[in-house]
Amino acid sequence: MAEPIISIRNVSKYFGDFTALEDITIDIRPGEIFALLGPSGCGKSTLLRCIAGFETPSTGDILIDGKDMTEVPPNKRPVNMVFQSYAVFPHMSVEQNVAYGLKMDGMSKSEIAPKVAEALEQVKLGQFAKRMPDQLSGGQRQRVALARALVKRPRVLLLDEPLSALDAKLRDAMRLELVKLQQEVGVSFVMVTHDQSEALAMADRIAVMKDGRLRQLADPVTLYERPADAFVADFIGRVNLFDVTGRAPFTAKSLGALELPPGAEVPPVGDLVLAIRPEYIHLHPDTSGPIPAKLGDVGFQGDISVVEVTLSDGRAILVQVEHDETPALLALPLGAPVSISLDLTRASVLPVSDA
Amino acid sequence: MESFRSNIRVFLAFFAPSFGWLVLFFVAPLVIIFLYSFGENVSLTEVETTWTWRNYSRILEPEIATLFWRSLALSGMSTIVCLVIGYPIALVIATARGAWKPWLLLAIILPFWTNLLIRTYALLNILGNRGRVNSGLEWLWERGYAALDAIGLNATAIMGEDFEPIIFLGRWSGVIIGLVYVHLPFTVLPIYAALERLDRSYLEASLDLGASQWRTFRSVLIPMTMAGLVTAAIITFIPMLGSYLTPALLGRGQVDMIANVIERQFKGANDWPFGAAMSLFLLYVTFIILAIQAFASMRRRGADG
Ligand SMILES: Nc1ncnc2c1ncn2[C@@H]1O[C@H](COP(=O)(O)OP(=O)(O)OP(=O)(O)O)[C@@H](O)[C@H]1O
Ligand SMILES: [Mg+2]
Repeated sequence: MAEPIISIRNVSKYFGDFTALEDITIDIRPGEIFALLGPSGCGKSTLLRCIAGFETPSTGDILIDGKDMTEVPPNKRPVNMVFQSYAVFPHMSVEQNVAYGLKMDGMSKSEIAPKVAEALEQVKLGQFAKRMPDQLSGGQRQRVALARALVKRPRVLLLDEPLSALDAKLRDAMRLELVKLQQEVGVSFVMVTHDQSEALAMADRIAVMKDGRLRQLADPVTLYERPADAFVADFIGRVNLFDVTGRAPFTAKSLGALELPPGAEVPPVGDLVLAIRPEYIHLHPDTSGPIPAKLGDVGFQGDISVVEVTLSDGRAILVQVEHDETPALLALPLGAPVSISLDLTRASVLPVSDA
Repeated sequence: MESFRSNIRVFLAFFAPSFGWLVLFFVAPLVIIFLYSFGENVSLTEVETTWTWRNYSRILEPEIATLFWRSLALSGMSTIVCLVIGYPIALVIATARGAWKPWLLLAIILPFWTNLLIRTYALLNILGNRGRVNSGLEWLWERGYAALDAIGLNATAIMGEDFEPIIFLGRWSGVIIGLVYVHLPFTVLPIYAALERLDRSYLEASLDLGASQWRTFRSVLIPMTMAGLVTAAIITFIPMLGSYLTPALLGRGQVDMIANVIERQFKGANDWPFGAAMSLFLLYVTFIILAIQAFASMRRRGADG
């Protein structure tokens, strides 16, 4: 494994007696897209700002390329940032915005011009070079911010919610473009987002945070298949969580005894939940299955449908149904008796989040 | 709002009093002054409007033209000093912690709650030949003299026989200090407002791109608060131009500004028509300044949009 390009070592950050970050340790690898994912207020931006140098960690160190950054001011760090608001200077043209950082490096005009042109080409803004920022759309302004940061060839590009200010359609298109751009320039991206689908779609690795703490660091597939706790399972994708009691076999209200497959990993102590994703629950349009339920809303999504069913104790859960099976369900009245079966080989037993 | 505007009786009920007030105390005096400015003294107490331009042409006479230029120069220089001092003050307030801000703003506004005359007399006390500044300097001078003496140098040869007070009163310096002191809040508040509105991430972006603090100040902070700076300059400059008390007391009749001479026309010189013409001329100058600013900001917006 290559040397990490950024090492975050036991970083904590306190604002007064409020803990924004607690003992975070993360290594960022060269050339990867790394996502910091978590709900609002969990400290993602704070961590990113610590890397950029706008906040100083209360304890712990941040190393970039093996060098301790504690004493290095933001304008001397080999990283650049794309701000959530983009912060494209309104009094400078697109070109001047992109040239700004190079000018600060003391480059001559003749060196700057081709680099600016290339960077604008890269983000497909070539013909907008002379425009002022208020003549650009939100998406174009975001690309100016991208070009302005990338033209400096940073070791790492930091992006704070880069897509959140765009409308949904543009957001999806920009996901792919950002990934392509990253592959082109080969710079590591550290990206803050609170949108799990964005993180899953774009990132090589994801750090899930909550209340200033790192809950799990893994690649998207692992996060989805093997979440570390109920919070992560709930935050990533759709999941049904059931409180369980007893051990081997577990029992859950309204599901009865649960025979987990041999070899299933189970945390040794503490309160546990059973997590099972909607696609691993099978819905029978009649009462032939082992667990009785009542049919609720059928959320038709084209390729699949996400169906809500109510269990005998009144608890509503989500079940995913293939396209082929949807018409049979749509024919049934609301509240019709149906039944479900669980694929327990794909379920996991997890510690309750706030353990 | 719409129905309120279309109902003429409601409209009158609300606006008649303020409208009447405006006519009575603003428009009417202005019309009277306007008529005076085209008039001639026919007796000691009577002015007749003869539609002569003589009062206006007298403004172009060297003595009066000089007076106008002096007023413009004093106000211009004082405005620049106000901007140079006011910007850092506004910056400190805008970047202060939340709990501090109201108190710092209060400190800026506080002088408004004291009578201008009293504040100006206080300045006299500070700036006089035997005032606070000079006694402070004299104290330093004496220490310096004694120190030189003690190390065996000829103190008299280096520092002179006696302490020479710096003369402020009756000089431009005194009037400028007074004008700056009185008008500084007008400068600080618009700049502060502009800084408050500025999203801090612009400054962070500049630093992030490798700019130094100073460079960020010059290339991002100043240009992005330029509108606030222009507003500050204008609302500082215009009242300065019409200052009366400050040049009267601190200028000691030797650094007169327009208002001082206008006052003399209405009192000692008993030449109301000329005083009226000068007053209106001052008003025109003010309008021209405002028009230029409006035009410039329109052009700016035009260029951006
Ligand atoms: N300068 C500050 N002073 C005090 N508290 C702060 C400061 N900056 C951030 N915080 C607090 O730290 C916590 C984490 O903030 P941060 O901006 O990192 O959240 P976030 O994860 O980026 O959330 P969001 O998704 O809403 O942007 C928040 O509760 C916030 O109120
Ligand atoms: Mg944030």
